[in-house]
Amino acid sequence: MTPFLELKDVHKSYFLHGKRIDVLRGVSLTIEKGELVSLIGSSGSGKSTFLHVMGTLDAAASGTLRFEGRDVFAMNDAELAELRNQTFGFVFQSHFLLPEFTAAENVAMPGLIRRQDRKACDLRARELLDRVGLLARADHRPGELSGGESQRVALARALMLKPALLLADEPTGNLDPATGEGIHQLLREVNRDLGVTAVVVTHNETLARLMPRRLRISEGRVVTAEG
Amino acid sequence: MKDLRVLFRWLGGALALAGLAAILAGLARREVVGLFSGDLALGVLGWGAFVELLVSFGVAGLYDTVHAAIVSTLPKVKSSGLENLEIWAGLGLWVVGWGLLSQGFTGPEAAASPPSAAVGTPLHPRIAQYRDFHWGTLAAYGLGFLLAEVAMLGLFVLLVGKGAQAGAEGGGLGHVTAFLIAFGLGLLLAALGGFLGAAHSGRLSTPEATIAILYFGLPVPIVLSLMTQVGWLMLHVGVHLREVAYLSAQLGENRPELGYWLVFGALALALVLGLNLGFVATSSGRLDLKLTYESFIANRHVQVFRPRLLLSIFAVLILGIVPPLVLYLIVMAAEQVVERTRIRHLGLKDPLLASEALHALKKRGQTPTAMMTTLSVGGVGVGVMALIIVLSVMSGFELDLQSKILGTNSHGVVLKYGDAMPEWREVMDKIAPVKGLAGQTPFVLNEVMISSDGNISGSMIKGIDPESVGTVTDLPKYLKRDGLDCPSCGKLEWLTTPEKIVRARLTPMGEPMLDEKGGAAVDWPKPERKSGLEDDPLIEAPKPDATKVLPGILLGKELALSLKVQVGDRVNVVSPLGGELGPQGPMPKSRPFKVAGIFYSGMYEYDSKFVYIDLHQAMDFFNLKGPTGLELKFEDVDNARRLTRQIYDLLEGYPYRTRDWGEMNKNLFAALRLEKLVMGIILSVIVIVAAGLIVATVIMLVLEKRKEIAVLKALGVSDGGVVKIFLTEGLQIGIAGGLLGLVAGLGWCLFIEKVGIKLDPQVYYIPALPVRIEAFQTVLSVVVAVLITFLASIYPALEASQVEPVEGLKSE
Ligand SMILES: Nc1ncnc2c1ncn2[C@@H]1O[C@H](COP(=O)(O)OP(=O)(O)OP(=O)(O)O)[C@@H](O)[C@H]1O
Ligand SMILES: [Mg+2]
Repeated sequence: MTPFLELKDVHKSYFLHGKRIDVLRGVSLTIEKGELVSLIGSSGSGKSTFLHVMGTLDAAASGTLRFEGRDVFAMNDAELAELRNQTFGFVFQSHFLLPEFTAAENVAMPGLIRRQDRKACDLRARELLDRVGLLARADHRPGELSGGESQRVALARALMLKPALLLADEPTGNLDPATGEGIHQLLREVNRDLGVTAVVVTHNETLARLMPRRLRISEGRVVTAEG
Repeated sequence: MKDLRVLFRWLGGALALAGLAAILAGLARREVVGLFSGDLALGVLGWGAFVELLVSFGVAGLYDTVHAAIVSTLPKVKSSGLENLEIWAGLGLWVVGWGLLSQGFTGPEAAASPPSAAVGTPLHPRIAQYRDFHWGTLAAYGLGFLLAEVAMLGLFVLLVGKGAQAGAEGGGLGHVTAFLIAFGLGLLLAALGGFLGAAHSGRLSTPEATIAILYFGLPVPIVLSLMTQVGWLMLHVGVHLREVAYLSAQLGENRPELGYWLVFGALALALVLGLNLGFVATSSGRLDLKLTYESFIANRHVQVFRPRLLLSIFAVLILGIVPPLVLYLIVMAAEQVVERTRIRHLGLKDPLLASEALHALKKRGQTPTAMMTTLSVGGVGVGVMALIIVLSVMSGFELDLQSKILGTNSHGVVLKYGDAMPEWREVMDKIAPVKGLAGQTPFVLNEVMISSDGNISGSMIKGIDPESVGTVTDLPKYLKRDGLDCPSCGKLEWLTTPEKIVRARLTPMGEPMLDEKGGAAVDWPKPERKSGLEDDPLIEAPKPDATKVLPGILLGKELALSLKVQVGDRVNVVSPLGGELGPQGPMPKSRPFKVAGIFYSGMYEYDSKFVYIDLHQAMDFFNLKGPTGLELKFEDVDNARRLTRQIYDLLEGYPYRTRDWGEMNKNLFAALRLEKLVMGIILSVIVIVAAGLIVATVIMLVLEKRKEIAVLKALGVSDGGVVKIFLTEGLQIGIAGGLLGLVAGLGWCLFIEKVGIKLDPQVYYIPALPVRIEAFQTVLSVVVAVLITFLASIYPALEASQVEPVEGLKSE
């Protein structure tokens, strides 16, 4: 059986001022469908880089990434765009909502990009906002939302097209412990109810401990976290 | 290894250079190099101004001497098989040099840093693909371009050839029509090539496009340009392309090269346009021309279609900058005062609401991009408006000129080789049944001198048939003022009945006085006669019989002014060669006439040069057996060419010949049309400047939205989608500006037409600025403006699509 997601020997380095920073030094990993994975690591260890490479937002130098057996690194721009739109959902370290659009429009954006009906998208967006407890803020612009609210809107946006894989980069970074716990609760629900496979980067060891599978990134490699 | 690469580079470079020198030397010996030094070739490369400067310092002579020296030092070409040797050798060297050069760059570069952990692992496929050169794309671009050029030439020659044969039936294709059809096909093919090429590679492939244009596209215009200079080219190619050269010379103001290069430029533009469309349409993997979310996002970014913005720009276009600005400031100040007062009152009751209102008031400020957007829309609007107004005014002048020419001139003439046409009545009967013929009249035309007591002037004298002249020209109308008879302008009938001529009164200034009362009454009060004036014999004139009535003559207003005569006065017509043969050749012949009328056509040339007498008087005076020919008028001026041809065929050609008004005034209209073209090009510069503004605006937008572009890409917008978003933004600016310019330009034209802008009639010979709104050129102005803005936003849009998703996600 082909694994859901398979990384093999993925390398990624940055060159800066003639110096090489080897961030990923041969990462190999398989993730099965429906898994809920937490990823921890010290600051600057390459968690975001790893997530970006996995989500095709950043190009690795070498290695292979297979998604349901398809060679993702070999895809062209159009195929990648479609993959990002319909299969992946992202929540970034900072929220990155589009400032000109209201919360509901931001959430609906992936659907619009997929050329779905505007009305239907709006309905679904409001449903998702209700789910993250922000229906009352649906018509606010990002500038009129708090950091935590923005992050929750970003999560709703990532779920818009019912992604097969959710990649979340510290979704609880800006949140108070209680709300952070709420978000994690939501992630677990999404994982359980919708069968969304999720990889969640977090600094919060207690929250990470609640995840079924725990990974740690250190010295450019991904290993299973102990404890 | 590394040394070898360096050696390759230097050696290759030197060889290629030597090859080039050899080719140039070979060409110089054939004296074709001089052609490339023309300001055209250099001007194209951007060195035009520099060369002009050098020439102005007298370097041109230097160049010639250097060139001559080079040519003289080179051994003379012997007429053997080896005469092209250095060219071929040079070509070979050149190719080999480039081959070496490429070897010098393609070898493995020495590693700059120690090997990484990734050594031996497979390369990321996207990196591997990165440098791919698409031969298919090159083929599509290059062959598409070449095919466009060749097909255009072929179709044009074919159509014109057909036209020449079919012309006899009057249904042939003119040069312009044939050119337009061929040009359309060429544009289509070039655009198609670009589209297919870009669709094939899925990217823009600029190297392929450059190579295609340089190597596939350039040779054709170069060969065409050289055609007239190089003998054997002329012999083998030129003869087949005569028509092309002819048309191109018209396009390029008697410099065919200019025409070729203009068309070449247009084809290259079409290629670029097609290539962009191809990329944009297919970059999401399939043909996708929808603009749903793209325009949704673009609308939020530029927000051009806000009534407030559009209205204010429109106001600026119509009223100029200052009045709307003053108005705007006043309105803004008033709004501020009202709003603040309201807030203060509100604050007394509900501080919360008041602070919110204050916040909203402050937030209304404009961002820099919004300002830029406004400026760009305004710029495009100004350009389009100027184009429309100026072109319409020029059309107005053209129409005015045309109507004046047609008023005094006929739509066509029938002439006869030899001198006169005694059988004119038969000819008139013969062509009378021609459909579309509105009138015909015989005429005699000759050159004479006219003298009065006061002055002397050279004139064209025309013998006319007063009965039928009105069916062809507007002469009867020109003898009236505001549609009414007047004593100072006389009557057409007096030409044949000169005994009825009534003298006009004199104003104290001696100018002919217009009859203010108007009135068609014939019994004007008889002015008291200044006795002796009429009967005063002129110098050299034979003393007229006192009882004999002089024949009548019609003069133009300007001529009458310069001769200082008026209705009833006497003038002397002198034909320098009309008299009997004297001992020293022909003697001048002279005859007195009485001014029967003074006409005013509004066209200086006619009013100062033409005089009319009765046809029989003219035949008698010039000893002719018949009129010079017939003047024709058609129901529709635009059919003149076709109908004159038809009449020509009806008369079975020789000894008859026909000409239409366009042929008779060819130079005048060609000059006008050229002037219009030049004005159009000059004014397009405004649009191009505005397009520069659009580039700046869209670049600013791209810079401002970098992070958002990254987010959009992460959400699954393809490169093509990003391009589409920003193209839509540029296009929105262009369309908004174009439409505003259209409305404002039409508004101005209507204003000029209805209200009028007075002109000094002494200078312009026309009372007010004429306008004529021509649908085609108006629409063309808008379309060209929108097209230019579209092209302008391509570059920033591509820049936007190059943003990597991760790049925007990190910058915090
Ligand atoms: N564009 C870049 N150029 C050079 N070095 C970079 C670049 N981006 C990231 N790095 C370096 O790569 C390393 C990994 O960065 P990354 O953002 O993946 O860390 P992280 O694990 O997400 O850290 P944090 O927990 O603080 O978010 C860091 O040391 C960083 O300095
Ligand atoms: Mg990070």
